[in-house]
Amino acid sequence: MRIRFRMKKNLSGAEIVLEGLKGEGVEVVFGIPGGALLDLYNMLYDEEGIRHILMRHEQCAAHAADGYARASAKTGVCIATSGPGATNLVTGLATAQMDSSPVVALTGQVPTAAIGSDAFQETSTFTLTMPITKHNFLVKRTEDLPKVIHQAFYIASTGRKGVVLIDLPKDVLAERVDIDTDVHVKPPGYNPKTEPNIMQIKKAVDVLVASSEPVILAGGGVISANASEEVRVLAEMLQAAVVTTLMGKGAIPEDHPLCLGMGGMHGHYPANKALSECDVLLAVGTRFSDRLTGWKTEQFAPDAKIIHIDIDAAEINKNIQVHIPIVGDAKAALSAIIRNLERRLEKSGGTSPRNEWERRVREMHRICESCINTDGDDMLSARMIKEIGRILKDDTIITTEVGQCQMFAAHFYMTKKPRNFISSGGLGTMGFGFPAAIGAKVACPDRDVVDIAGDGSFLMTCQDLATCIENDIQVVVCIFDNRYLGMVRQWQELFFERKYAHTHLGVTPDFVKLAESFGCYAERVERPEDLREAFKNAFESGKTAVLDLIVGKEDKVLPMIPPGGGLTEMIGVERCNI
Amino acid sequence: MISLLVEDNPGVLARISGMFTRRAINITSLTVSPCEKPKLSRMTVVINGSERELEQVRKQLNNLIEVIQVRELSSEDAIVRDLCLLKVSAKKEQRAEILQLAESYGARVLDATLSTLTFELADEPRKIDRFVEIMRHFGIKQLLRSGICAIARD
Ligand SMILES: Cc1ncc(C[n+]2csc(CCOP(=O)(O)OP(=O)(O)O)c2C)c(N)n1
Ligand SMILES: [Mg+2]
Repeated sequence: MRIRFRMKKNLSGAEIVLEGLKGEGVEVVFGIPGGALLDLYNMLYDEEGIRHILMRHEQCAAHAADGYARASAKTGVCIATSGPGATNLVTGLATAQMDSSPVVALTGQVPTAAIGSDAFQETSTFTLTMPITKHNFLVKRTEDLPKVIHQAFYIASTGRKGVVLIDLPKDVLAERVDIDTDVHVKPPGYNPKTEPNIMQIKKAVDVLVASSEPVILAGGGVISANASEEVRVLAEMLQAAVVTTLMGKGAIPEDHPLCLGMGGMHGHYPANKALSECDVLLAVGTRFSDRLTGWKTEQFAPDAKIIHIDIDAAEINKNIQVHIPIVGDAKAALSAIIRNLERRLEKSGGTSPRNEWERRVREMHRICESCINTDGDDMLSARMIKEIGRILKDDTIITTEVGQCQMFAAHFYMTKKPRNFISSGGLGTMGFGFPAAIGAKVACPDRDVVDIAGDGSFLMTCQDLATCIENDIQVVVCIFDNRYLGMVRQWQELFFERKYAHTHLGVTPDFVKLAESFGCYAERVERPEDLREAFKNAFESGKTAVLDLIVGKEDKVLPMIPPGGGLTEMIGVERCNI
Repeated sequence: MISLLVEDNPGVLARISGMFTRRAINITSLTVSPCEKPKLSRMTVVINGSERELEQVRKQLNNLIEVIQVRELSSEDAIVRDLCLLKVSAKKEQRAEILQLAESYGARVLDATLSTLTFELADEPRKIDRFVEIMRHFGIKQLLRSGICAIARD
């Protein structure tokens, strides 16, 4: 472990915080200053080792830190002042925590002596954020800062990753102390288990070897653990189909012949069929969310022996009862399975081929792929996203807002690499995609970053176009402009007799003018065939660009599992003839 | 019944009780106190839930950073105590009977006035339940129980 603090004389709390951040390898922070943070910002302004990006809303600071983390596998950092700054962060922190994204948040707080007095801009950030963080700290003494900062990063980035918040009273940041902390005290109650139990691995291999129709379900944990390569290798060894969750999108290249794409509520029909028909399900880094399993969990892999690899023991048997639990890091567990399987196959002289299953999986993959590659009589939204998929480079990072736009992207856009599809899965936060794109672009400046947005979602965080222009951060926002809170409207159409209660968004704003007023490049696109030119213009403009894609007002994202339904009861599957 | 060893930090109680609230699990009883280890506290939590809920609770508690140890205890492998303070009306003609009953339960008189008697009884919860039931006949004026403390048998 690096030694982060040698004996240092007379440092202020603010200086210790910055030393600590640098010691943890932090290069960039997203934030907004305020009264309680004056001391910190005063030092941060002169700090050459850390780039501060001034956001225009604290929610965006949290989303940007989250997007940065998801794109780069590093821990993202956001900063907000006390009171309203901290409450504004909350949505962003809850979003990151739900998707196990490593984020450290620093918040200002009123001076320790004023805590509890309802002082100006006082809110109990510590109690407020307890249920939406992995852990949080309220620092009462400046000398505790080195330990707290180190522990915060350690906790955020190990085990099941998540959000850690450090609440920093004004006097704690101002006070000067001598620091000689070079010992790093691990929190005594925190021992994330990473190495899988070898007996469980053997049991899993027994079951996998004997299986005739195996499916691997890859969740966000695969991406978080950087275990994509292991998933691909194992799938090929077993001729297993690979289905992903929304969070797992990109865990295997979606054009891989064994990949059936995303499963679940708006997943591919073949993926859901495979999930319900398999005889062995190897689920990796997934929490079996209700969006994946459908409402009738008895239709979820009913005949399968289920192996579940997860770093969080509390996920085992939480939503779905499993047969072989393996608690540990996905990469470590998958590598152990692969090694064990190799040895087993050497002894028995090779695989018993699953020719028939492999043929079916490849056939199902072809159906998914042709569904994406051909336009047929699709709705305009689907044709737009398919065309976008043909235009963008393979290493483009896609972020999404929430709603139909998100599900169109999840269903019809083929992600080729891990960390290239960034979406709010657990919390489903409208307004996430654009600030997350900012974070992703800061993390990966050499890559294209595109936010697939809805018109409703984009209005929730669009003020950060200013951040992009001021800081020269180039992203492309593609608004799927249907003038509706489309996903809710779709449910009203299908299940509430087309009574569109408060889902119509009117005609304002003119997104092109809005974007132009910030100094962005903007263009309206009405036909999919004009997209290529529009993207060319957008990228060549050298600025953040907003493309206002006019799509069908009543486009629906199909197929879907209707409310109350199970995996095999999707509606709108006519096009997925299988 | 779960016995916890936790860091004695400000907010640790809120964090633990908050976990139960968030997971919609009802706490029947919860006690906290310092223990033999410096800077650590021991908690005993009793919840009324299914086997599956209990398993989830145990794991979620383990996930809390400040929780150092989680141990499930059953009444067979633990010594369990609850403390009861009870004030009962004691009219002159019933006084003797109340005192006699209290003695048979091992309850101690803490205070006596012309119209009331106040008892202390530390025992297994079931014993206390019975003591309380009996005292109801005489009219309980105030009753409080500390919640359960449990220590594992060796
Ligand atoms: C912050 C927030 N508020 C409300 C919702 C509920 N909700 C889910 S999808 C949706 C509609 C999104 O509309 P839009 O961004 O235009 O996307 P579309 O579905 O039209 O593609 C709403 C309101 C949400 N997910 N997040
Ligand atoms: Mg819309």
